[in-house]
Amino acid sequence: MTRFCFLTIACLASISSAQVTFEDLKKSPGANWLTVAGDYQGKRHSPLTQINTSNAANMVAKWVYRMPKAGGLRTNPIVHDGVMYVTNTNEIRALDATSGRLIWAYKDTRAKKEAVNRGAAIYGDRVYFVTSDVYLVALDRRTGAVQWQHKYGKIEEGIFASAAPLVVRDKVMVGVAGGDTGMRGYISALSASTGEELWRTYTIPAKGEKGSESWGKYVDYGGGGTWLSGTYDPDTNTLYWTTGNPWPDFYGGDRGGDNLFSCSLLALDADTGKMKWYFQFTPHDVHDWDAQAWPVLVDLPLDGKMRKLVLHANRNGFFYALDRITGEFIRATKLVDKLDWASGIDAKGRPVELPDKGPTPSGNLVCPGVRGATNWMSPSYNPATGLFYVVTLEQCDIFTSSSKTPIPDKNFSGGGAGTKPKDLGQFFLRAFDPKTGLKVWEYPMTGPAESWSGTVSTAGGIVFVGDDDGQLVGVDARSGKHLWHFNIGEGLLASPITYAVNGKQFVSIASSTAIYSFGLHEPVQAVPLPKIELK
Amino acid sequence: MRRLLIAATLLVPLFGQHEKDGEESKNPAIGDPKAIEAGAKIFAGGCGACHGPDGQGGRGPNLRQRVFWHPLDPKTMYKAIQEGVGGAMPAANLPEDQAWQVVAFVVSLTSPAIENPISGDVENGRTLFIGKGGCANCHAINNQGGKMGPDLSNIASVQATLAIRESIVDPDADGAVGYHAVTVTLKNGKTISGVARNRSNYSLQLQDRTGNLHLIDMADVTQMTLSKGSPMPKDYAKRFSPKELDDLVAYLSRQSVRPYEKEKDEKNKDKEKKN
Repeated sequence: MTRFCFLTIACLASISSAQVTFEDLKKSPGANWLTVAGDYQGKRHSPLTQINTSNAANMVAKWVYRMPKAGGLRTNPIVHDGVMYVTNTNEIRALDATSGRLIWAYKDTRAKKEAVNRGAAIYGDRVYFVTSDVYLVALDRRTGAVQWQHKYGKIEEGIFASAAPLVVRDKVMVGVAGGDTGMRGYISALSASTGEELWRTYTIPAKGEKGSESWGKYVDYGGGGTWLSGTYDPDTNTLYWTTGNPWPDFYGGDRGGDNLFSCSLLALDADTGKMKWYFQFTPHDVHDWDAQAWPVLVDLPLDGKMRKLVLHANRNGFFYALDRITGEFIRATKLVDKLDWASGIDAKGRPVELPDKGPTPSGNLVCPGVRGATNWMSPSYNPATGLFYVVTLEQCDIFTSSSKTPIPDKNFSGGGAGTKPKDLGQFFLRAFDPKTGLKVWEYPMTGPAESWSGTVSTAGGIVFVGDDDGQLVGVDARSGKHLWHFNIGEGLLASPITYAVNGKQFVSIASSTAIYSFGLHEPVQAVPLPKIELK
Repeated sequence: MRRLLIAATLLVPLFGQHEKDGEESKNPAIGDPKAIEAGAKIFAGGCGACHGPDGQGGRGPNLRQRVFWHPLDPKTMYKAIQEGVGGAMPAANLPEDQAWQVVAFVVSLTSPAIENPISGDVENGRTLFIGKGGCANCHAINNQGGKMGPDLSNIASVQATLAIRESIVDPDADGAVGYHAVTVTLKNGKTISGVARNRSNYSLQLQDRTGNLHLIDMADVTQMTLSKGSPMPKDYAKRFSPKELDDLVAYLSRQSVRPYEKEKDEKNKDKEKKN
């Protein structure tokens, strides 16, 4: 209703009553921002144009909501009919998206674990989020009444949960984390109405299954976390979900082989969880280069032929284009200049590794560093400019290994990685042309190289990005030229979104401790105190 | 001044001991119905003079206003009871088992109701909830019931037994924040009624009887009627017999989306820095 509500007279009150359907999710984003990535394809591109290159300089803060007891928020808000849903550890809150006022809050005070949380999902009359101890919680999106919570994993097996759920038709897709301490990752589809598990696909094969031959004796604890949401192609009913590093992270001596299906992109049938294909970006990873960055689905002409692609900026330093129907490798180009572990990617998509670039007992300088050339920070894609926007980090780290006997769930990662003294690295927002894989422009950041914030793209011709100095920045999507910035003043670990209520566009982001929402400046109207009769 | 001193001297050492929460399950008195009952008697005969007979506070601090994810540390509490606190609270010097009974009682004042014993009949409480009490007209449990009052599906995980009882007999005890009845007339002549989930001079987040949200700019409001407190009836202490009240409290004290697991896995409460 609010999407078409541009006249103030018609919008005296927003009514949050419409059910969220699968069709709504397919059409998002518009005024609403219904999934963590905004859309199923992971483009994070909004059609909203009210804020554009000609007026972005007039943006001001509209409201701030301080999240109680928050520190290091990673939540990507979702917005439906003027209500914003944000999460924190074992907790979800509904805010009035026009004023930032709290509507309701729910916290599972008896959860047995405390970990970060990346956001919520919405479908029907429910919102969903996960607790750290691996429960999917369903609540009435209007009242916050808890309807059920369903356990889909055991923390005793070394896993926990942090990813935002993704609703596909009548299923809620969820993942698990914990790959740095020895576990076996999986993706599950749970019933949106009951929470019942409908299918589960492990990212690490069981002994004897296809792919298990690519492991040594630690296949039972091989890692392959699934701690970032996936993307989805409704046309082929295919789910695209990336997987984490193998365990032990930095010592590969006892896990010879490629360690399937770690550091990979999995294409799964959304109805059954059956793997259609996989593509492994970093075989036998020893640098903790999870593949957990967003797979972005776009259709583009390549060599005179329209191709259905999945684009992926990987932690290992390369920017990939794959055929999303077959998994065929098409091309990989360099995301960053500081890349010295491989000379390139061969015709089959396998890295051409250079010698002596693994961790050593005394330490070995390798580029990119352990945080990767990019990470979970969200990229975006603007169909009008044809550019892919991604935050990249130019940095190297000293990687060390340890051959100590690995013991699962004892916080042992087989070594470690740390920055080279006086070499903190530098973040850049970069625009790449997916047709060529080449960089078009870049916007350097000037902070202490501590950021996990990504981007949102708009039809107003702007890319908004959180920088490593605690600032939300808007740049021209075609040129990378600065348009606007606001100093939030604390670390940014989540990515911005944009939405509209009553015809007014907002840009919002979670900082470490609060939710900020921005819009175009307009004079504040004096609000006369109403006649209040107390009964 | 003396009251402040007592509160400060008692609470400082207690607040500093959160990392030892996992030890509370080590003493069998904690959560044991007989121990809690015995502890209540000892408490009322001694501690209650300062802390109030139900721990509601007096000259000494209120022992019921705590947040559940930072529970009192039983060992520190035991030490405070036995040895006193800085001259502000006298040493009890009780036999060990009796001191632990007092600890068990004090823990029960703030711990979630689901973790504590009940004295009423749960099934009869359910009958009262949906029948005589009319509670389900406004409150929902597991998606069954009204939407105007707080959802009670998980009440036993977030409220102590005493607090649940208090909410029934004195609905305004906690201010009923977020549930004051409200009716507004808008500039366009429309009238909307429900509860104010939140409000300020500038905006109102109103939930109507069907559960729908109305996000209202106060500049559009010409008139507002607001209840002084909770719209919940204030006479349940008279409507119900003491036995019925026990039964209703017992029913609500078992409404938790998670079953109670005595063995707490505190080792997993470490903050994950990654992922």
